[in-house]
Amino acid sequence: MIELQLLQAVRLKGRIAPADLSATIGEDPATVDEAVASLSASGLLMTGNSLRLTTDGRARLTELLAEERAGADHVAVAAAYSDFRSVNADFKALVSDWQLRDGSPNAHDDADYDAGVLARLDRVHGQATPILAAAAAQIPRLATYADKLCAALEKVRAGETAWLTRPIVDSYHTVWFELHEELIVAAGLTREEEADAGHA
Amino acid sequence: MCLYWFEIQVHRRGKVAPIYPLTDGLGRRRRHDAGTDVVLLNGSTDQPPELLGNKGFGINAMRHRGLAVPPAFCITTDVCARWFANPDDTMDGIWSKVCDGIRCLERESSRTFGAGPRALLVSVRSGAAQSMPGMLDTILNLGINDSVESALAEEFSSAFARDTHDRFLRVYRNIVLADGDGVVPDDPDRQLRGAVEAVFGSWTGERAVAYRRHRGLDDLGGTAVVVQAMVFGNKDSDSGTGVLFSRDPRTGANTPFGEWLVGGQGEDVVSGTADVEPIEALADRLPAAHDELMRAARVLEEATGDVQDIEFTVEEGKLWLLQTRAAKRSAQAAVRLALALRREGLIDDAETLRRVTPEDVRTLLLPALQPETRLAAPLLATGLPACPGVATGRAYTDVDDAIDAAERNEDVILVRTSTSPDDVAGMLAARGIVTEIGGATSHAAVVSRELGRPSVVGCGRGVADRLDGKLITVDGAHGEVREGLLDLASWSESDSPDLAELTAIAHRHSPLRAPLIAMLTALHSSQRADGATS
Repeated sequence: MIELQLLQAVRLKGRIAPADLSATIGEDPATVDEAVASLSASGLLMTGNSLRLTTDGRARLTELLAEERAGADHVAVAAAYSDFRSVNADFKALVSDWQLRDGSPNAHDDADYDAGVLARLDRVHGQATPILAAAAAQIPRLATYADKLCAALEKVRAGETAWLTRPIVDSYHTVWFELHEELIVAAGLTREEEADAGHA
Repeated sequence: MCLYWFEIQVHRRGKVAPIYPLTDGLGRRRRHDAGTDVVLLNGSTDQPPELLGNKGFGINAMRHRGLAVPPAFCITTDVCARWFANPDDTMDGIWSKVCDGIRCLERESSRTFGAGPRALLVSVRSGAAQSMPGMLDTILNLGINDSVESALAEEFSSAFARDTHDRFLRVYRNIVLADGDGVVPDDPDRQLRGAVEAVFGSWTGERAVAYRRHRGLDDLGGTAVVVQAMVFGNKDSDSGTGVLFSRDPRTGANTPFGEWLVGGQGEDVVSGTADVEPIEALADRLPAAHDELMRAARVLEEATGDVQDIEFTVEEGKLWLLQTRAAKRSAQAAVRLALALRREGLIDDAETLRRVTPEDVRTLLLPALQPETRLAAPLLATGLPACPGVATGRAYTDVDDAIDAAERNEDVILVRTSTSPDDVAGMLAARGIVTEIGGATSHAAVVSRELGRPSVVGCGRGVADRLDGKLITVDGAHGEVREGLLDLASWSESDSPDLAELTAIAHRHSPLRAPLIAMLTALHSSQRADGATS
């Protein structure tokens, strides 16, 4: 299980510092270091300042994801993903409204406006939670996304609003996007197909 | 000519007290006058935009000048305000007048709403006194069902009838029912009522309310609804639809600028889903319609004293104007157009100064990609502007290559099919970002704004291969990728003849001799104060 978790985390991040890896997958650093050493020895990971997947690592990840998907009820996963799409549209609209007002960057100088957008985030989170639970009932590994979304949401609620959209860190947008990638694959689709259909 | 109640109302209005303003001196809404619930837009009403909405006002003004505009009526902003208090009674109360309005459109077009052999279809549009985001915009082709489709097939062609019916069902489901699988009523009256109520309902949508609050437009009473007889740009190869700016809103040059799409309807041009051609293509294909359009543009410019943004449709070679409004323009165009219209005697000095905001001058004084530089460079790709700014560099399509190049101190533009979190390291290393697919809320758009990297998204498949390795300029304001490393330049208050001319005019009207921005700021703020007290 940790092999899949780890390879998928590196895949989703592209490049990741070894120190950040244990935080994002929520595992003990010593366990992660050990797994990284073993995956690197078998040629699946490139190590250095940041970790990256090798071609073999990508192939192995694809294989592990297919095995995981084989154990899930495809109809239930497809239903969860279909529900996610409609919440996804609301989430993306609110992110856009957070960043832009009338086409110009949001100066964040209007507390009412910002509060209105953040209230929409609460609603989106409320809608996403049962969808994520349904997906995790099929693919238990996905349950960790619920924790990561909650962690980001709590920071945003506490006034650290950078945790809504900041890239690189596990902000709400970063975690949401990675979850979207997971659900696309879990539903047996590709990102290109989804983008062409207007869902990406 | 049909002398129905609203026309009688219009004739009578000369003798009764003016209905405008909408509020009395104490800010209370005036008692509603049933005579202004539904107004025929045939050029004879003198109701203000606050009641007719901007679109309705524009249509009436065009008709007043004898231009060819399909017949239309509007349900006024007053009705919208009452609808929120009491939707069912309000709709019941106005419905006979709406039906009278439809009868007028039927007479003028010699067609019948909801029935063959010559069926009338209508468009339903929202229109507040000011346009705003988040409002339900346009429902075309309303009044069609299976039997109307058969009548249209008989009259024109089955392909046209089918296309029109499909377009209607798609739009009605998506924007009126907000349910891609919803059941669209067969009865044209019920379709119309549903569409009108959906337009009203969108007035209090989250985005529309936020926009009004932000812009201080809280006192606007509601949106009007314009119902207009359809003309069909999708009828045949002598039909189409387009947009014309009476002068170039990008540079301010006195050359018409526009786009045109053979065989398309309005939504096709706006959504950018089809390949539009420049307006010159209309001159080649249908010279008479083109000449008529240029004449109409001049008439409207002279009537309004401003550059117009005109939406039009050509049906079987005949030109119809659908909408007109003052054109949005670049800062440079704002200055040049104001000076040009003044030289032509269309506006006076005071109006010339009103047309240029301090913000326009501020923009011109900052280093930017000048319109002439931009338009002279070959256009390599267009997409959605996602993060403003200009970036130049060499295009890289591989994230690792991009990072390596940036580490060699190269200026890098990252060009990807789309981006995901694993591209973020490459996005950080790049000066600008371009994607093939994805919209204004895509990952690339969100992250580029967060990182402050100028970006253009959704440029279309194949762009990455075409750009790879080239030296390019990403224009995040216009959503363009141009060839070459283009230089930024700025205007100067003393050296740019246009700003010098404007400064001289401002000196004659300003009590203080100060820099242009200061004089314009003083003039504009005193106008705002006047506006608030009048």
